[in-house]
Amino acid sequence: MQMTRCYRMNALVRLLGVLGLVVHSVSAEERVAPGPFTDNECIACHAERDPRLVRQWREGPHAAASEVGCGSCHGDRHEDSSAKARKAQSCIGCHEGAASHSYTTSKHGVINTLGEDKQDWRQSLQPGRYRAPSCSYCHLHNGDHGNTMAPDRGPEVRQWICSGCHSPRYVREQFANAKRQLEIADLKLLEGETLIASAGEDRHGTLAKLRQNLIRHRKNVLYGVGHQSPDYQWWHGQPALDGDLIRIRDSVLQVLRRKLVSDKPEE
Amino acid sequence: MRYRLISWALPAIVLLAVVAGFAYVYWSKGGAGAGLYSRYWSPDPVQGYWDPANFYQSIETVEGVFEAALCIQCHEGITPGIVVDWRASRHARIDEPVTCDDCHGNNHQQLRLPTPDVCGNCHNKQHGEFRDEARYGFPSHVLAMERAVDAPHFADKPKAEVQSCVQCHSVATKCDSCHTRHLFDPAEARRPEACITCHSGPPHPDDESYFASAHGKIYLAEGKDWDWSKPLTKGNYKAPTCAYCHMDGGRHQVAQKSLWKFGLREINPHTSKNQVLRERWIELCRDCHEEKKAAQWLAELDQERKLAWRKLDKAEDMLKDLRSDELLQPAADERPDYPMGSLWPIERVGFFEGQASAFYNVSAIERDYFEMWYFDNLGAYKSAAHGNAAGVEDGHRKMAASLDRIEAKARELRHLSKDGRKVKLAPTLTELWMKGAYTDYNREHN
Repeated sequence: MQMTRCYRMNALVRLLGVLGLVVHSVSAEERVAPGPFTDNECIACHAERDPRLVRQWREGPHAAASEVGCGSCHGDRHEDSSAKARKAQSCIGCHEGAASHSYTTSKHGVINTLGEDKQDWRQSLQPGRYRAPSCSYCHLHNGDHGNTMAPDRGPEVRQWICSGCHSPRYVREQFANAKRQLEIADLKLLEGETLIASAGEDRHGTLAKLRQNLIRHRKNVLYGVGHQSPDYQWWHGQPALDGDLIRIRDSVLQVLRRKLVSDKPEE
Repeated sequence: MRYRLISWALPAIVLLAVVAGFAYVYWSKGGAGAGLYSRYWSPDPVQGYWDPANFYQSIETVEGVFEAALCIQCHEGITPGIVVDWRASRHARIDEPVTCDDCHGNNHQQLRLPTPDVCGNCHNKQHGEFRDEARYGFPSHVLAMERAVDAPHFADKPKAEVQSCVQCHSVATKCDSCHTRHLFDPAEARRPEACITCHSGPPHPDDESYFASAHGKIYLAEGKDWDWSKPLTKGNYKAPTCAYCHMDGGRHQVAQKSLWKFGLREINPHTSKNQVLRERWIELCRDCHEEKKAAQWLAELDQERKLAWRKLDKAEDMLKDLRSDELLQPAADERPDYPMGSLWPIERVGFFEGQASAFYNVSAIERDYFEMWYFDNLGAYKSAAHGNAAGVEDGHRKMAASLDRIEAKARELRHLSKDGRKVKLAPTLTELWMKGAYTDYNREHN
């Protein structure tokens, strides 16, 4: 009985909160011109209204390295600018290749693609409001403009986000397995790099190329476990790394064999 | 006298051997893992979620027996996403709703993750079809988990690594691979995207080959506006999708028309049994196309397969010749044993010798053949079967390039041995294959 009352209270508090937000956003919406706005104009206003958000963007990779400003994700109009940025498509335009393909082919990505038209994208990125997570649901959870999936946020944040739909134990076990899978991929990377170092030379740059493959396939395992794509964990990941190791061994074998022959005293 | 002795002793020995064989298989399935090698491995903690019947254990932190209303009340706070999903599902909207406890049980310390048998309690038509698929053998959905755990590399590799295998192969052990929880919407499962999480990537680019075909292009352009609540029968869809062809009429039996067996091995497409399958295909294509046209497409697929196998056989022969001349380097006894070990170390070449597990711990030329067979060949096959001409061309071009590489490598190996005799690796070089951060770890953790 105690528990029931507690949840009722909880629901009431949440309802009031949502009402407050609606009133707030409607009144805010009225004061803002429709646009278009430049990034500087957005920042001039939002630096006061949402200082944390602007600071997070400034300190993050988007602002610093790649000159991705407000308009890149939100467009230059004020109306529906948040809804627009929440959709996976606004990220995929830049984050192409394995980074997004591992997501779009995952179950989360598929459900998100198929349900996109039915989804109300004006809702904030919170548990219970999205059937499947889009890029922003996990990486900009609840509108946080730092990467909520970044390692320095700690495992608790990541696990909290997934727990909106999955049981705490399920999430914990999946993350623990992901860590073990990555450790295994790292062992393969280490094995390959040790082999390459043992060759001592790389005449045609073959080993350097093979090393690039190792690094790429190790990254695929990361995308695979992060985006829950079995295909990237496996076919683009682990067995691809196994293949890299075989080819590295074969190239190193040839180098060492050549050395053995040239070291042999002439008869 | 001697003849009489043989006449009853021989059958007795055969009978004993058969009984011993069965007993051995029965015994070997009794270990901590599952399947034929169950005594060689125990599962990663996460495997219970992919194979609940064998490995799921309920949590014990929450005590009590709950009715659905209470489950919902609590989980609305803990995991609101699944409650919203369930509310939107047909399970919640029918007169007598199917609630949490119907599938999961109501004792929180003995919860179950629903297996196909649980879903089958109500959906018995679909469940019956699904179970009955086993009679078509591999490859199929219902036997997929057996296929995964009975692979030597599954038993051999670290269990955390091969969890990626069982995620897709769990199509045999759970229904939510296609009917995602907790909405379980058939309209979603009918869309091609429902299949692509597993049917993608180098060995089975079903997604790429279908989306690039004429059928797939129509779907991509117009599919969004189709009424996906309609059953998978004639006249309901403008272009066929994965499910329309492979599960026509909603029949939960994807292997029911499986003719070329995934392109994994060569088959005779004209046996009387396969003639029945061909007729099933033609009957299906006739929903939209002329019978003659459908028969022609099947003949074209046969032709493509013949060409592919000609290339593959050539590569396989080259490898087997190198093996009998003892020229593969390093040889089987100079590298970690074939996944799972064997009494006689031997290089495994070709489908029937276990090529599917021979993608690591092997020499470069064997890996080249693995990729030619498993990636290039299957890519060509999928493209041919789905009607993507450019993909067929691409697959065959890749196969030709692989064949060239294998040929060059074979020449090189023969060149090393001028008198045609086995070349042992120099002792300083054998370590190259036997040691390494992962190789050592794998030896200890399988």
